[in-house]
Amino acid sequence: MSGSAFTRPAVIGAGTMGIGIAEVLAAAGHDVQVLELSREVFDRAMDGLRKRLSRQVEKGRLTAEQADAVSGRIRYAESVEELADRDIVIEAIVERLDVKKDLFARLEQSVSESTVLASNTSSLPITAIAAAVRHPGRVMGLHFFNPAPLMPLVEVISAAETDPELAERAYAWLKEIGKEPVKVSDSPGFLVNRVARPFHLEPYRIVGEGIASKEQVDRIMRAAGFKMGPFQLQDLIGIDINYAASVSVYEAYFHEPRLRPHFAQRMMVERGALGRKTGKGHYRYES
Amino acid sequence: MSRKVAVIGQGELYEKVTRFLTDRGIEVPDTVALDLSGVAALIDLEAGTDERHRDWLTVLEENLPEHVPVFTSVLHRTATEIASWLKRPERVVGFSPLFLSEMTLLEVSRPLQAEESASWERHLEFWNELGKEVEMVGDEPGLVFPRTLALLVNEASFALMENVASREDIDLAMRKGTNWPHGPLAWADLAGIDRIVDILSGLHRETGDDRYRPAPLLRKMVYAGWTGKAAGRGFYRYEA
Repeated sequence: MSGSAFTRPAVIGAGTMGIGIAEVLAAAGHDVQVLELSREVFDRAMDGLRKRLSRQVEKGRLTAEQADAVSGRIRYAESVEELADRDIVIEAIVERLDVKKDLFARLEQSVSESTVLASNTSSLPITAIAAAVRHPGRVMGLHFFNPAPLMPLVEVISAAETDPELAERAYAWLKEIGKEPVKVSDSPGFLVNRVARPFHLEPYRIVGEGIASKEQVDRIMRAAGFKMGPFQLQDLIGIDINYAASVSVYEAYFHEPRLRPHFAQRMMVERGALGRKTGKGHYRYES
Repeated sequence: MSRKVAVIGQGELYEKVTRFLTDRGIEVPDTVALDLSGVAALIDLEAGTDERHRDWLTVLEENLPEHVPVFTSVLHRTATEIASWLKRPERVVGFSPLFLSEMTLLEVSRPLQAEESASWERHLEFWNELGKEVEMVGDEPGLVFPRTLALLVNEASFALMENVASREDIDLAMRKGTNWPHGPLAWADLAGIDRIVDILSGLHRETGDDRYRPAPLLRKMVYAGWTGKAAGRGFYRYEA
């Protein structure tokens, strides 16, 4: 990986996003350290990763050697001190600002001054996370999409004090490892979650105003070229997750009317109709 | 069905709809002569943003046989409002002319004044015979898909104005991050920036809700004549 912007990455958190990002980096040939407080969580995540890789082997997309090499490049770390030699650290822990700020402040004590500190947050301001460190120029957002190994898009987010050259480096690095990066400035919902909002919100209004049924909306939107209608898609994503994202962006923009959610969505959440995972959402699913 | 249809409108939408009809062997007579004898339908593609639209439609109705339907674009106004201008409001059918050739599905709406008209649905056979699946929805500007598209474009336009990302990155992100068939800005160029503004301003006026306030950038693009691919320039530049 000569000439690469980063060669010694670490990921913090072995949840779905964390292990997914680790897989992306390992598949690109990097040795990745994954910091996770619970060894058990890490081991479970690695088991899942190996299962996914062996399915790829069965399908003939990877050789057994390649699959072993990918999982072999991911190493466990149990404390921030072990990350001292890393040149980029990507945080993918719980979506809580206080917890993230605390982690970034501790990270800064252990890593070198040139180490880039990135967050995979989807809903918190990078600018607020950066405020926890003494050198905020090295803090940025790298927002991967779930599932990270399959979704090519990564939002490269620059906060108020992020070094402008950093976005360029991260952008080049992500391209090199086969991703499709986009440069985004730090603002609520970043890019995709914000611009996609009307696709999820307006259909509630259209149905609520008696203009069309849910089935009609989905049928019309599919006929217009979308792979799935908005209600089908929400059932897949999870109506609660989609609702939380909507509320978070709406609040962050101080109640901008364009982003106003609809009470019908909240009622779906309240009655536990969350989509496929609960067997019923906008549509019913046979268990 | 008679093979003659009168069409009023102008610009790219007019070209596209008349081409759709003539490709199917339908003659499109000139409405200026006011000779509407023997037409199967009057198709009104006027954006409805100015008052001349109303005058012209009422003059044409004088010359239109009474059983002939008027299919009017409801991107900017409701079918109910346009029906209120006519002597026979029950002949009005709202529809979305956007992407008429590309989509097999056609959204239509029924004016309130035609709620009790037993023969109203027969007007829709015109579209069935042209191979369209008709989807009847409520009568609001922009119906379902045009309205939703306009809001996606509007949000993307605000994001562009606010320098959240470049136009290429906005489009790339929406194609790769959410699997949309087009980026919203490229899609706006295909639909026409003026049409997008028509939908938003129509919704804004009818609902009084700032949710539908068009991004100032979209209005400026219309002033500048950057109305999309057909004009050679919209969010992107196109080779003539």
